[in-house]
Amino acid sequence: MSIQEHYRSRAKELLSAGTVKMVIGYGAGSTPDRRRPVFITSPDEADRLVLDTTCRTNLSGYLLREGLLSDQKQVAVFLTVDGIRSLNVLAAESQLDTSQVLVFGFGIEGDQARAIEGERAADFKSVIAAAKEQRKSQPADELQEKLEAMTPKERFSFWEGEFSRCIKCYACRQACPMCWCRRCVVDNNQPQWVNTSSHTLGNLEWNLLRAFHLAGRCVECGNCSRACPADIPLHLLNRRMADEVQASFDHYPGMDEAQEPVLASFRKDDPETFIL
Amino acid sequence: MAKIGVFVCHCGENIAAKVDCTKLTAAMESHPGVSIATEYKYFCSDPGQESIKKAIVEQGLTGVIVAACSPRMHEATFRKACAAAGLNPYLCEIANIREQCSWVHSDGDEATEKAIEITRSLVEKVKRNNELQPILVPVTKRALVIGGGIAGIQAALDIANAGGEVVLVEREASLGGHMAQLSETFPTLDCSQCIMTPRMVEAAQHPNIRLLTYAEVEKVEGFIGNFHVRVKMKARYVDMYACTGCGDCIQKCPQKKISAEFDCGLANRPAIYTPFAQAVPNKPVIDRQHCTYFKNGKCKVCQKVCQTNAINFDMEDEYLDLEIGAIVVATGFQIQNTSLYGEYGYGRYPDVVTGLQFERLASASGPTGGRIARPSDGKEPETVVFIQCAGSRDPSKGVSYCSKICCMYTAKHAMLYAHKNHHGTSRVFYMDIRAAGKGYDEFTRRAIEEDGAGYIRGRVSKLWEENGKLMVRGVDTLLGRPVEVPADMVVLATAMVPQPDAKEFAKTLGIGCDEYGFFNEAHMKLRPVETATAGIFLAGACQSPKDIPDSVAQASAAASKVLALFSREKLEREPIIAMNNEATCSGCWGCVLACPYNAIEKKDITDRAGNLIRRVASVNPGLCQGCGTCVTFCRSNSIDLAGFTEKQIFAEVMGL
Ligand code: SF4
Ligand code: SF4
Ligand code: SF4
Ligand code: SF4
Repeated sequence: MSIQEHYRSRAKELLSAGTVKMVIGYGAGSTPDRRRPVFITSPDEADRLVLDTTCRTNLSGYLLREGLLSDQKQVAVFLTVDGIRSLNVLAAESQLDTSQVLVFGFGIEGDQARAIEGERAADFKSVIAAAKEQRKSQPADELQEKLEAMTPKERFSFWEGEFSRCIKCYACRQACPMCWCRRCVVDNNQPQWVNTSSHTLGNLEWNLLRAFHLAGRCVECGNCSRACPADIPLHLLNRRMADEVQASFDHYPGMDEAQEPVLASFRKDDPETFIL
Repeated sequence: MAKIGVFVCHCGENIAAKVDCTKLTAAMESHPGVSIATEYKYFCSDPGQESIKKAIVEQGLTGVIVAACSPRMHEATFRKACAAAGLNPYLCEIANIREQCSWVHSDGDEATEKAIEITRSLVEKVKRNNELQPILVPVTKRALVIGGGIAGIQAALDIANAGGEVVLVEREASLGGHMAQLSETFPTLDCSQCIMTPRMVEAAQHPNIRLLTYAEVEKVEGFIGNFHVRVKMKARYVDMYACTGCGDCIQKCPQKKISAEFDCGLANRPAIYTPFAQAVPNKPVIDRQHCTYFKNGKCKVCQKVCQTNAINFDMEDEYLDLEIGAIVVATGFQIQNTSLYGEYGYGRYPDVVTGLQFERLASASGPTGGRIARPSDGKEPETVVFIQCAGSRDPSKGVSYCSKICCMYTAKHAMLYAHKNHHGTSRVFYMDIRAAGKGYDEFTRRAIEEDGAGYIRGRVSKLWEENGKLMVRGVDTLLGRPVEVPADMVVLATAMVPQPDAKEFAKTLGIGCDEYGFFNEAHMKLRPVETATAGIFLAGACQSPKDIPDSVAQASAAASKVLALFSREKLEREPIIAMNNEATCSGCWGCVLACPYNAIEKKDITDRAGNLIRRVASVNPGLCQGCGTCVTFCRSNSIDLAGFTEKQIFAEVMGL
């Protein structure tokens, strides 16, 4: 049985038994290689679920829809390792309760989607630990290498160029499961720290602020870059930040739901190289 | 409409020599919202303050900027002046054009330009200032005294006698501390026990004092007037109420060979014991580590002999939560580990003893009944050598400071020895004699002149055994030659050091300590009994080496500070605290983790039927110290700090 069939029948089973009230998964999109999120609530609809190598979006953010989990009922959701990590971060940040989430875990290897064993976020501990180790040896991509080789000045003008295309649509914010603030600081107009119009300075402020707000939290799912209509490689900023956090504090976000946020925790052996 | 007054201070030459104050005043005069700008030589002077008050009243000012020194210097002065003129003091701000401007710039034009920017940014801030009202917090009129030595007892008694409630916590099984171990005390040679025990009894029986022995302070939270303290009552395995203190159990305990701490290892005690005969409370404890029952599961002899069934092997540590208004820390000292000084042979030769051990030998209640005898064979020593500064004043090996009491107690030891062994000889190796106290110099002179103590100025380099004698080799620096003294007994005036866990305990209390672990006072000269944490005071040798009179004096001083606090019904606290916007808070609890004062609580928001809708963060105004850590943490900018709101900071930045 293919993994798609496996999860379809599992969804049917769970919905018919009333174990979950909804399955959040992928469905066919507007073109053959596009997928869109689907929200299945009855067993007959389970056949709409698709799972293949084009399923890239991290769906965990949909769990945060106001009221979805407030009735204590369970929801099943398709998640990769990154997605499970974001689930853990959200739980650590008190945005949801993992006991309400059933995981349909999968990974994409080459031209195949494979299921990963487990039901609850906590079941994937070893898979996440392996991902953490793997990240340490993961080579930088071409663009990132190019950026690292640049002088700070060149790098700055590179990003200035990229950000100049930003139209402040906030699709990146909408797509990121970690952007859960009830009121985003950029929507605050008293005072208005970040300029709302999309000119160079305001764009720079927005994009850097977003990167900083994700320091130690980004799970590198890539939702932001995929969502950006201006094709800005936003994930590279976050990746750089994640490198720093991993190197300085050995912190890999989303290890488990008890993990303390790196910026609010203090340990006696934290490196303090920035203190003169 | 804002009506701001700007007052530019020359600070004599301090500011005016670099900053063109007239130009600054003119620039401010034309700034929007400024009604009046003036300059003056010293605004902190009486006429200076008067002119500010007058301007407030005459011009109906809505805000005041004093462009002057650092707010640390005179913010309070000017805020008071404003309040006296009827303006809410939090509508007054200081623009620091001295420390951050005139003092650090050499170019006058640049300094003036910067002074204008600094002042302008503060004008923009003050326009957005709100009237703030001081927060009143109640004071719990109950003091916690930590440590039941002479300092702790004195502080407890002083507070209790003035009507204050006291909880006195001692970690040993009895009150008394080191003073109870001493023989006679300098400079009057009265017996330590004789003056100490009545105080111990008084403290134990005082209606205002709750005595907790064999107990340790585990956790301290809260703030001045409102501390929450958790005390661990260690299991004694003896029911305090049932026990009559008859001592049958102590007699019958089969473990008899445990080295007695109170006698500095010169005598033994059983596993169930009271530290010394006059212990208060006079109820034994079981030393779990050495008890046969706890080790082998068999014995219970004490339980069998106890007439009142007071022994209970199932007892467990208990915890007490106390509400406390003020804390006196009187945790005392230890003596330095003498093994640091291998050349003095401590630990290798039984007849090399510490000063504290000598006290036990000389004490009438000690293991020898006050006969000065050698630990090795019980013979009376004919020659005793005293080595001062064993560890003290030695940065390379020991501690750099002077332990303060050793000159005096060594003189006392030499004297006691002369009084008890009439034919004995004593030699004292010293560096210099520090006897600065009432009757102290007279005392040491008496030891030398009347009791024949032979003082040799110089350090001891080596000590070894030869033909049953301890050979002490040192140098006599006054004669400029080496000396060798054959001795029967050697007494080391060991350095006084903080308790081994002092640094950890400082963290529990949230107070500071120095490099050695002595607790830090708020100001060496002017606030010697306060700590930097309001409401926590120090007494005795936990702050620095001290003798009994000094410890007692400081304890009474600490008590007076506590009583001053207790004389008020309410404490005023600065209203600079954080406030959370519950509408935008996402309940991530980042701020809860980040707040160093545990001032943020989780609060449930419910609908009318009581169903939980959301949970948000809520700042406890009593605990918040206004540090702003939470403000910087919150990603959604939900938290704001009164007096430093985002709007104000933004205006300040934009004013630059
Ligand atoms: S910042 Fe981008 S890559 Fe990181 S978690 Fe958010 S959406 Fe995913
Ligand atoms: S998605 Fe892209 S264009 Fe839109 S706000 Fe984010 S960076 Fe700017
Ligand atoms: S950090 Fe901000 S959003 Fe999070 S709980 Fe605190 S106030 Fe609320
Ligand atoms: S300002 Fe915030 S972090 Fe600081 S003490 Fe108050 S509540 Fe805690």
